Amino acid sequence: MNAAAEELDPVGLSDAAPESLWTKGLYKFRRDRVGMWSFAVVLLYVGIALGVWLGFWATGWADLAGGKWEPVSGAHWFGTNIIGQDIFDRAIYSTKTSFEVGLVVAVLATALGAILGAIAGFFSGSWLDELILWLMGVLDSIPFLLFVAAIAYTLQSIPEISKYSMHIAMIVTFWITAGRLVRGEVIKLKEMEYVDAAHALGVPEYTIIFRHILPNTAHILLVQATITFVAAIKSEVILSFLGLGVKDSMSWGLMISESSQEVLAGFFNNFLAASVLLFGLVMAFNLFSDALQDALDPRTVAD
Amino acid sequence: MELFSYSLRKLATGIPLIIGVTLVSFLLMVYFGPDKTFELVGKNPTQEQIDEIRAQLGYDQPMVVRYLDYLREIVTLDFGNSESTGERINALLARTIPVSIAVALPGFILGNLLGVGLGLLAAFYRGRWPDKMIMGSAAIGMSISFLIVIIAFQIILSSSYGLNLFPVRGWSVDSFGDYVSYVTVPTLATVFVALGYNTRFYRSVIVEETTRDHVRTARAFGVPSLQLYCKLILKNCLIPIITRIMFSIPFVVISGSLLIESYFGIPGIGKVTYDAIITGDQPILKAVVALTAIMLVVVQLLTDIMYRWVDPRVSLK
Repeated sequence: MNAAAEELDPVGLSDAAPESLWTKGLYKFRRDRVGMWSFAVVLLYVGIALGVWLGFWATGWADLAGGKWEPVSGAHWFGTNIIGQDIFDRAIYSTKTSFEVGLVVAVLATALGAILGAIAGFFSGSWLDELILWLMGVLDSIPFLLFVAAIAYTLQSIPEISKYSMHIAMIVTFWITAGRLVRGEVIKLKEMEYVDAAHALGVPEYTIIFRHILPNTAHILLVQATITFVAAIKSEVILSFLGLGVKDSMSWGLMISESSQEVLAGFFNNFLAASVLLFGLVMAFNLFSDALQDALDPRTVAD
Repeated sequence: MELFSYSLRKLATGIPLIIGVTLVSFLLMVYFGPDKTFELVGKNPTQEQIDEIRAQLGYDQPMVVRYLDYLREIVTLDFGNSESTGERINALLARTIPVSIAVALPGFILGNLLGVGLGLLAAFYRGRWPDKMIMGSAAIGMSISFLIVIIAFQIILSSSYGLNLFPVRGWSVDSFGDYVSYVTVPTLATVFVALGYNTRFYRSVIVEETTRDHVRTARAFGVPSLQLYCKLILKNCLIPIITRIMFSIPFVVISGSLLIESYFGIPGIGKVTYDAIITGDQPILKAVVALTAIMLVVVQLLTDIMYRWVDPRVSLK
């Protein structure tokens, strides 16, 4: 029975079908020059972040290496900050922080959205669907910054988790877009013949949802994950600036927060280092995400 | 009459949303939130003093009673006093919301108008260089963090390292001239940030509309482009445009300009909310959350009515 269901399941795209969505997508993506370049830049940032994670560079981000506000020099490529820490090291180290936040939030939020969206879509019209839709509406309606603060309050008493309150708040709010998209797609997919066939063969419902239907929304999830990644990085900067984000570590948001007083005194190194690196990553990821969407989404009419 | 009964029904369906929003925020912020007892009692308090404060804060009541109390506050629109300043919250809101609107409105209007304009232009020259330039700039604009824009604009326009044209921060408005000088930098920053997203959204809506059959037919009949875009296409795009604009209103009025206001030290509702977050001033946070939810429900209703007004085929049911 399983083999028969497998045969009806067009999800086993990987082994056969040269004309699948993914091979076509890859072909299209390879021809997208902007997409390829932005992907290369993203990979460069990944390399930097991995290097920090493995301890190859930027290990001295917290050391007091020089004097106050030293200018750019051979020893301190971007100068030093107000207490003499090396700005280049801090900016590089922050890449890792950004990837940490972006990856954790993008993966978990997309996964949560996929699961809840698929359930809501498969049982559309039932109380379960209503409940999930209500939850989406509710979480969408709480002002984001207030929600982050509220989560932070709640977790205050549990110190091991409380430093992740920003991550948790983002996951709990960012899954909604993915959830809505998947729900819409699943409502369409569940009317297809292969789902009928699976029903007829007696495949259990949860297997139909998660093994047969959900993999067919993977292209939407992939694009949505890249969009969430960018949103998480940008939110992290603002939240850290407001004092609601990263703690006991370094991030571009904290550097900009440090610099907001310095710039009025005419010291721009901190601000420029963090801004330029942040801009580069977000820009590259945005373009990469666009190219991915063009390559994978058959419905796009944009260009 | 049809409209009236529709409105009542629509508002009634908004109640689960309001209950959900207030319940979630209540549980997170108040029930599981920080215990304020020891901030309010003096040094070396006796057990009676502690009990008194706890009773005053309502900590001795069960959760359900405290939540129902919150709902009663919402229904009567009386949110009590701020914990940190003791000011009545209704007075606080009446004082700060107009400031927030005054700060946010020019940027909001300009951002959307320019967004539609650029979106039209890009859609009109679809695939040619003006389109590519506009969309390229939009992609760049979308990639610059709001925070960076604010700081950069402040350096360029308000500091002695730049043009030094406007006050660095603050808000002391007595005349229209003051208003312009204080509102310009926040407005420019908001427009700059919103423009990328708006232009992209409006362009994709407009481009989708230009591919419809009736547009092609009209073009084949020789309808001039200007008329085609303004009358046939833009009119049909109004529904997504209205949706986008209307649904951002509650967040713009209540909390949207939190970053702008706290950065520039403007005494609007965003700054008040931020300060309340930092000091844990729960009555203010409860009021802000509840008002946002209520406004969202009202906005949903207004949006539905506007759909009907824009497109008579939409029926209110």
